[in-house]
Amino acid sequence: MNKKIVLIVSLILMSAFLLVGCSSKTASNSTATDPSDIKAIKDRGVLNVGVKADVPKFGLQDPKTGQIDGMEIDLARAIAKKILGDETKIKLTPVTAKTRGPLLDNGELDLVIATFTVTDERKLSYNFSDPYFTDGVALMVKKDAGINSLKDLNGKKIGVAQSATSKKAIEDAAVPLGVKVSFLEFGTYPEIKTALDSGRVDCFSVDGAILNGYLDDTTVILADRFTPQNYGVASKKTNTALAELVNGTVNDMKKSGDLDKLIQKWGIK
Amino acid sequence: MNQVFAGFKWVALFKDWRLFAEGFLTTVELSILALMLALFLGIIFGVLGSSYWKVFVAANRGYVEFFQNTPLVIQVFFLYHGLPHLGINLPVFLVGILGVGIYHGAYMAEVVRAGIQSIHRGQMEAAYSQGFSYWQGMRYIILPQVTRITLPPMTNQAVNLIKNTSVLAMVAGGELIYQADCWSSQNIFYGPAYVVTGVLYLILCLPLATYARRMEYRLGGDI
Repeated sequence: MNKKIVLIVSLILMSAFLLVGCSSKTASNSTATDPSDIKAIKDRGVLNVGVKADVPKFGLQDPKTGQIDGMEIDLARAIAKKILGDETKIKLTPVTAKTRGPLLDNGELDLVIATFTVTDERKLSYNFSDPYFTDGVALMVKKDAGINSLKDLNGKKIGVAQSATSKKAIEDAAVPLGVKVSFLEFGTYPEIKTALDSGRVDCFSVDGAILNGYLDDTTVILADRFTPQNYGVASKKTNTALAELVNGTVNDMKKSGDLDKLIQKWGIK
Repeated sequence: MNQVFAGFKWVALFKDWRLFAEGFLTTVELSILALMLALFLGIIFGVLGSSYWKVFVAANRGYVEFFQNTPLVIQVFFLYHGLPHLGINLPVFLVGILGVGIYHGAYMAEVVRAGIQSIHRGQMEAAYSQGFSYWQGMRYIILPQVTRITLPPMTNQAVNLIKNTSVLAMVAGGELIYQADCWSSQNIFYGPAYVVTGVLYLILCLPLATYARRMEYRLGGDI
């Protein structure tokens, strides 16, 4: 009986020490003046970022190493350096169009940097930084299909990503031309490419820079570009201080030319 | 949490109600046609499986084991993306009917087979003694009794079938989940979208499940 009590008491004491150890270690990083959302990141000591794992040059996972790399990951590192003083203190989570919103809302992620196009409707739910990249919607078709421009797509099916704003962009461009197209929406980019290969769709349409990553011997990207798409860094609506800090970082990088260097480094455009 | 279900997101959803109604209708049509196919295949293969001709039994086992032991997702993926490479381009609605219908047909076949085998063999022997052939005995003596016994498990299969039509979302099938995915990934108002979608499935499935439970209760009373 006595032994049991001693054991329990010592366990409680040990866990108390552990807790104290934790808080004293991380508390040194944050200052009293930090707003609560930034303080939470500093106390945790790591920035949680949602990125794409299937978009070449922006965020692509190497199947051999499991490492995700790309322009957007470098941007996440720059923001981590700004907040935590160390660019390695990031935890990357691959996201899809379906998961990136919920993961921000439930607090699993601090930021989403995942070719996330800024729209007025989306701004109602999340904070977006000023755009760090602007791209036009492009069209990919099979080489042997004999399609040279949007006009040739009259009556054809276009595969788009569910998350993407490309559907509206093409509709806006097609209506004045008198071109009628129908859309099939898929969850991920590889699925659209599969649908193009199997002839389920006649055209694969997303933002040009993303489309480049799926180009192969049988396909060609048309010269047309539609409505510019602005990519912004998204954060939870209530984390306003974090949003401001991120926006400042993006704008500083634009001014200093660091952002252009990143875009060049990854050979985007 | 409140933000996910903010009022303006509900307003936006009810403004676009047509999209969800369209998806709901497609789900209902798809379910009815796939159910008819599943019942047809289920009865045929169920009867084959309970016969004593080895070839028929083998056909039943082959069908049932293949479709029960491969994921529906892969079967639908094959019908949609695989067949066009062989020059067969089925419309997505037909892919849905075939994919879901054949898959659930395998489960229905097992239900029917088990039902037939639960009928005492004396019934068939009595049919023979009255000059019935095997198929006549099956048709007039055995199957009417099987219908009554298998109705509750059949209804459960129907409920599963309705829910499984949602895999069509993966191949732009135009049913309820597809519409909810498209709508909510555009504006990211996923909270109301999936709550409404869930409720719509509940409206379809709950009455069926309740009916199955009642039938089961009634059967339990007189057996």
